[in-house]
Amino acid sequence: MAHAERHPLGATLALALVGLVFVPLLPGLLWAMGPSLSASVWQALLTDPQFAQALLATLVSSLFGTLLACLMAAGLATRLYPSPAWQRLQQRLPLLLSVPHAAFAVGLFFLIAPSGWLARATGYFLSWASPPEWVTVQDPYGLSLALALAFKESWFLLWVLAGVLGEQAVARQMAVARSLGYSAAQTWRLVLWPQVAPRLGWPVAAAFAYSLSVVDMALILGPGNPPTLAVLTWHWLSDPDARLQTQGGAASMVLLALFSVSAALAYSGWRAWVQRRAYPTGQRLPAVQRPWPWQAPVLGVGYAALGALVVWSVAQSWFFPALWPDAVTWDNWRYADAAPFWTTLWLALAVSLLCLPVVLIWLEWGPKQLNAVLYAPLILPALPLVAAQYAVLLHLRLDASLLALVWSHLLWVLPYMLLTLVGAYRAFDARLMTSARALGCSQLQACLRVKWPLLLRPLLLAWAVGFAVSVAQYLPTLFAGGGRFATVTTEAVALSAGGSRQVLAVQALLQVLLPLAAFALAFSLVRLRSRNRQGLR
Amino acid sequence: MLSIKNLTLRCGSQTLLEHLSLEIGPGEIVTLTGPSGCGKSTLLNWLLGHLDAAFQASGSAQLNGRSLDGLAIEARCIGILFQDDLLFAHLSVGQNLAFALPAAVKGAQRRQRVAQTLAEIGLEGFAERDPATLSGGQRARVSLMRALLAQPQALLLDEPFSRLDAALKVQFRSFVFEQIARLRIPTLLVTHDLADVPPGGRVFDISTWQPQHV
Repeated sequence: MAHAERHPLGATLALALVGLVFVPLLPGLLWAMGPSLSASVWQALLTDPQFAQALLATLVSSLFGTLLACLMAAGLATRLYPSPAWQRLQQRLPLLLSVPHAAFAVGLFFLIAPSGWLARATGYFLSWASPPEWVTVQDPYGLSLALALAFKESWFLLWVLAGVLGEQAVARQMAVARSLGYSAAQTWRLVLWPQVAPRLGWPVAAAFAYSLSVVDMALILGPGNPPTLAVLTWHWLSDPDARLQTQGGAASMVLLALFSVSAALAYSGWRAWVQRRAYPTGQRLPAVQRPWPWQAPVLGVGYAALGALVVWSVAQSWFFPALWPDAVTWDNWRYADAAPFWTTLWLALAVSLLCLPVVLIWLEWGPKQLNAVLYAPLILPALPLVAAQYAVLLHLRLDASLLALVWSHLLWVLPYMLLTLVGAYRAFDARLMTSARALGCSQLQACLRVKWPLLLRPLLLAWAVGFAVSVAQYLPTLFAGGGRFATVTTEAVALSAGGSRQVLAVQALLQVLLPLAAFALAFSLVRLRSRNRQGLR
Repeated sequence: MLSIKNLTLRCGSQTLLEHLSLEIGPGEIVTLTGPSGCGKSTLLNWLLGHLDAAFQASGSAQLNGRSLDGLAIEARCIGILFQDDLLFAHLSVGQNLAFALPAAVKGAQRRQRVAQTLAEIGLEGFAERDPATLSGGQRARVSLMRALLAQPQALLLDEPFSRLDAALKVQFRSFVFEQIARLRIPTLLVTHDLADVPPGGRVFDISTWQPQHV
């Protein structure tokens, strides 16, 4: 291993660049939350007529959603690994992962709403004349929101699991335990889960933090009046009334507290379970047949939601209870508002291309101990952070500017790109750098001519992930952009409040297509560049 | 007696091994040698019932007169030792051994058997230790004893000595051979190092069963 060198200039540059994204948040949090630290604000919050119900809906949707996501991912892994079905499942995940949350929520809405495909399929056979009076979406407890979160996050957790289970040591531990006479299911329970579960801690925390403060999905599928606490907080924070703004600050502290308390409880529950671990009794249980193919519904919902979006986007008229549109047309696409598409495109390009060199400089010269700080936006509820960003922008009189919009996205794009790249970057053979240095290159030259070109594949993947994360941003776009910039995400959420389903489907599909195009571009660039270089693939 | 009859292993259109037949008697150690990536480990995985879906196999295997074809790993009574010790990191050294003990050994007897086994391999009082705190040689011994405590009827060794340094290798090798001779179980050892072959044991080069073009 090459000895790490001190590079004061590189380290300073890395800290300065990342500092520009993170440091303003500190005074921002103070400005945004400071006024909320008074008893009267909290009294107003706790006695607000909407607060209790909103808190309940948030707790139900986030806890139930995260729990269900964990159960689905864990259940599938336990049943399918190791088998060819697990390999196939893994190959199908990337498409579903690249579908933004808001677009999936719209697709699910088209499936389970009282006039959705599910009701149409039922009504078609029972000859219903009008949509049933189901409360399948926007239910008061946020159950449909929980369901949407559960599916979306279960794909994410399955993807994390696929990475862990892809390691050779895991496959061999499975083989060893089974050769000692234990069935695959028992091996999962006694050997794999105790070792794999701790590694899922942070990803589950990220999924939970996301579901606590999600606003875009909650607006589409969540309860209306009162909404979830995250939506309520967002309403208050963006209210012109200063009193309501401080109340919003207090509510976002409640979200933060909910996260901390739940995470602490989950962690101590896990510790207690570990300590209670019994001495192995040697009891071997016979294997149970693997019955029903569970993976079908877990993935099928994703495909069906995408399918519903596609069909609605080309539908001319589609009355209940017809299963298919009466006529198909391209007009919805031809007359679609293209402005949000272009705004999203340049914004995501600017943000991801700005982040790429910053991430590289950070990984090469930045202090590694501080990586944890950079990941914080991934596991913290977004609302307090957005509020802090907004407070800073107001103080600098930069709100509603292009610069503000780009800057606000960096806080989430940067950590995701870092997370995508860090594994490959650490695994890079340090001897190649040493060889390059021995051939007379400076460290920068060695990076530019050897290391970074060799890391092309993970670099492009990180770029595409950054692009996709920027496309999906909702809250920062609204706050920092001051409502002046409509992206496909803000447009899809706004349209979901009512109006033409065809127009909504087109905007939601554009939201899906942008990240897909970025991933396709990244992979074709890798292929092009590595045509004559097998080692780069 | 472990016997393989007429095994052919393929990966897609490529034939790795063909017409392999082999019989291993009780207490015998048969060594298969050959360079890395020639199908040695794939053969062990097939015997273990752990063949990757990318490979296709035809042929049959029997252990003590019982057919192994189509049996799950856990029903085969075959132990395996890989080059990594693969001790379960969440369990103590003693619990790793207790994990392998048959359920017929009950209650306080389990801890007693574990303590006795640890003493036999020179690790007295190590039961509560974290496996990560053991040296490579100590871990290798625990790993072998774990495989043997489950009372396998045959043992597969997948280059189990290749990660150990020279002095340890010699020690651990003779330790393994002693244990196998004591238990009198058929053993198949694959290695690329001819020094691993036990004295007087039969050795086969894997190329015996490989098509000419490989």
